[in-house]
Amino acid sequence: MNQSFARVALALAAALAMTGAAPAPKPAASPAETLRFPRAVVTDLGPMKMQAESDADARLGGVQIFFSAGLDRQTVAQNGVAALVAECIARTTVDGSALRDAIADRGGALQYTIDGRATRYYLEARSEDLPVLLALFARALAAPDFSTATLASARAALSNRVNDIEGNAISVGVQMFRRSYYEAGAGLPALGTTTSLAALGPSDAAAFYRAQYRRGGVGVSAVGRVTPEIASALRALGDALPEGTLAPVSAKARAIPENAPRIVARRDVGAPVIVVGFAAPSPGSKDFGAMLVLESLLSNSFERTSATTLGIVERSVGASYLYDGSPASLIVYVNGNRVDPTVVIRELLVVSKSLGSQPLSADSLRRFKTTAEGAFVTGAVTLSDRSYVLGTLGAQGLGPDAMNATLASIEHVGAADVRRVAKKYLQRYIVALVLPRSAAGGS
Amino acid sequence: MTMRAPAAVFALAAVLASAGGADALPSLGPNVSVRQLGTGTTAIVQTLSGPPVAAIELWYRAPSTGFDAKPVPSLARLSAQVVAASKPLIGPSLGEIVRNSGGRLAISVYSDSIEIAAVVPATAARSVVKTITTAYFAPVLTDAGFKIAQRDVAEEALFESFNPETATRDAVFSALFAGGPQHFPALGPARELAAITFANVRAYATRAFRAQNAVLVVSGPITPSILSVAANGRSAESAMANAEQHSASEIVNAPQPVQRVFDEPSGGYGWIGPPIASEREATALDFIADYLFNNESGYVTRALVESNPDAFVVGQFITLHDPGVMFVAFSGKKIDAVRAKVDDGLALMRKPLGGAAFASALLAFQYHLLHDLQTPVEMADNFGWYAVEGNPEYAPGVNAASGKYFQAVRSLTPEFVASIAEKYLGKQAAIVTLQPAPKKPSEPK
Repeated sequence: MNQSFARVALALAAALAMTGAAPAPKPAASPAETLRFPRAVVTDLGPMKMQAESDADARLGGVQIFFSAGLDRQTVAQNGVAALVAECIARTTVDGSALRDAIADRGGALQYTIDGRATRYYLEARSEDLPVLLALFARALAAPDFSTATLASARAALSNRVNDIEGNAISVGVQMFRRSYYEAGAGLPALGTTTSLAALGPSDAAAFYRAQYRRGGVGVSAVGRVTPEIASALRALGDALPEGTLAPVSAKARAIPENAPRIVARRDVGAPVIVVGFAAPSPGSKDFGAMLVLESLLSNSFERTSATTLGIVERSVGASYLYDGSPASLIVYVNGNRVDPTVVIRELLVVSKSLGSQPLSADSLRRFKTTAEGAFVTGAVTLSDRSYVLGTLGAQGLGPDAMNATLASIEHVGAADVRRVAKKYLQRYIVALVLPRSAAGGS
Repeated sequence: MTMRAPAAVFALAAVLASAGGADALPSLGPNVSVRQLGTGTTAIVQTLSGPPVAAIELWYRAPSTGFDAKPVPSLARLSAQVVAASKPLIGPSLGEIVRNSGGRLAISVYSDSIEIAAVVPATAARSVVKTITTAYFAPVLTDAGFKIAQRDVAEEALFESFNPETATRDAVFSALFAGGPQHFPALGPARELAAITFANVRAYATRAFRAQNAVLVVSGPITPSILSVAANGRSAESAMANAEQHSASEIVNAPQPVQRVFDEPSGGYGWIGPPIASEREATALDFIADYLFNNESGYVTRALVESNPDAFVVGQFITLHDPGVMFVAFSGKKIDAVRAKVDDGLALMRKPLGGAAFASALLAFQYHLLHDLQTPVEMADNFGWYAVEGNPEYAPGVNAASGKYFQAVRSLTPEFVASIAEKYLGKQAAIVTLQPAPKKPSEPK
């Protein structure tokens, strides 16, 4: 096992060219060989704008509605309130049923996610049914039910999900890193904790809703078959929201110290899991493409060879660029069930240093750019994933045609960019260790 | 057969045979081309708009336990993995090609079929079509590939051994079928896997992985001209000139309850259902499975979310050549309560639903079908599965809402659904109970 990782390090060392190596050749792709998503268009919906990629042969539409009500809008005392508000909205009664059930019974689905910068709701249905479902959603949004009974059932549902997340060692490690990296609410767990949820009451939920659910703080992305009727329903939804805009939240992250701080937690896990967290550029930055290439490199270089693609639980090492928060971050996890984590971490850090000091060879750069592009497009295929990526990247400076702008940003990356970004972001890190309860050492 | 790109079709004349004639091939919709390649492969190409991603799949009809009289669980799974892992004399292996494109490669084995599926950026689709057909139409197996595959499949088997759905499904099928590949798990225990030799794999791969036995499905922003890069494969010897036939099923008339040891309390039911040719009946059982067990809105699912939030439940009608199988698996700390909710739901289906509830359920069912058909890989899975089971025109992805499947959906009535529930689910089920081994007195509680 150790030998195989030594070989990985050697291979990566070979991938790093000597100083003065020739720059990577520009791609010679013909139009037919160029990856492109359908071009996104922007529609004005009054105070909101909708980015849409329309597929002529799709039969469903998927709409992502981003409210500026993410973790960065919570205070520490409000831990979990964004999720509680969203769950209460999903449980608000419309036409005799909870909103989520009413939408399901009419042939659609409603989901929500709490991100670093937003609470986002996703609605999906046949395109001809979607306007009616958006109207139901608008009614619940206009008069959400924060009664004691609804809040109690929402809290119970969230607590169950919190317990599920707590049972996943990688999630625990990522959360430990985020808590250490971000200041204030942005580092809080997405759904709160069972303790914090228990402390929140109807007035807390109502206050958060009143403060954050404003017409001026909403963004929309849509994919699939996007019809004028869907756009009209979204416009009506926006019109029904309280007027007002939200002041931008300034980015709050702590500088990562040079001495690589370690955080330790103990959970009921079979083997240690380590999460190494780095700062990362925001999507609107000129460094975005290079960081996507680094994510691809770190995600693929340490994994054992397998003919078929390994799932998360089967992987030894994985990397994930978390650009939902601002500023963004990059995490690399090492699964102690699969490998000796101390060996991998040592190799990872050696490689991170090397990447900051030597450029990649032209061949390696081309390979990792190709895998970065491939991972990006194959990770944004479902209507849900695609609308999320389109909306969140568009809101962070990549413009209306954000998917194609991302592909272009990868295509323009040179070896010097990778080295510069590695030097800027990968030299300081936080190590989160999730250890079995019975293991010795740690705090 | 609709030609979307006539010029490309003429260019393909050299590689496409007319054997079988166009009228022998199914019609699968205006954006789907169905051909028979020169070597006998049935090729289905669906042209989609949308994201620049393509799915390339090969499907084979072949028993998971091998062609010999003595069943060998894991043989099909291991053989498919060895092919993907073996590096040919020239160029990288299929696994490397897909990985280097940023795509994903998966192999799935069912009782009587094998699926090799790649999802790649559209720019890599031609290269993957060429590589996957080269690899699986004339398999080159290497010792190194065999060793890598043994390790990978052993790990997969280990993971699956902790999956309550897999454990329950294996037990259900074992109880419903007295013999044949359906009686055995697709992934056997580690000891049996380790006993499979390179020679076993070579013999299996030679017979199963032939162009004549393959269905090639490509879906995404591509055109039928992509077939021009498909490999020809081996010329057919007389014994292997045709596709394999479906394995005969040995049904148990009165399945006995099964009890096994498992890490967490789990259970399940199984019933013999209609064959894929009984389209309306099969669709009714799909509807029942969706109504009760859809993972978001199912009647049983919703009940368990509130009362037993730790519970897991899955239910589906598995559409097979003959017969299909209705299968339910569940687990949870309070397993008796979970089972009671499942029983409540099943009992409910044996009486006609009220008109409004049925209309709503039918609407939801159609949405769930479309939700599961929104990506190239979902479409390719759909075409591949129904083709290999022998009724491609019944695939839900065919011809949009005017296809045979959606016609069958619209023909459902509350009374018919209840009658199908009574006909199939009213019979003796295979009942599976999985529970942890009792603790020894010396073990801590």
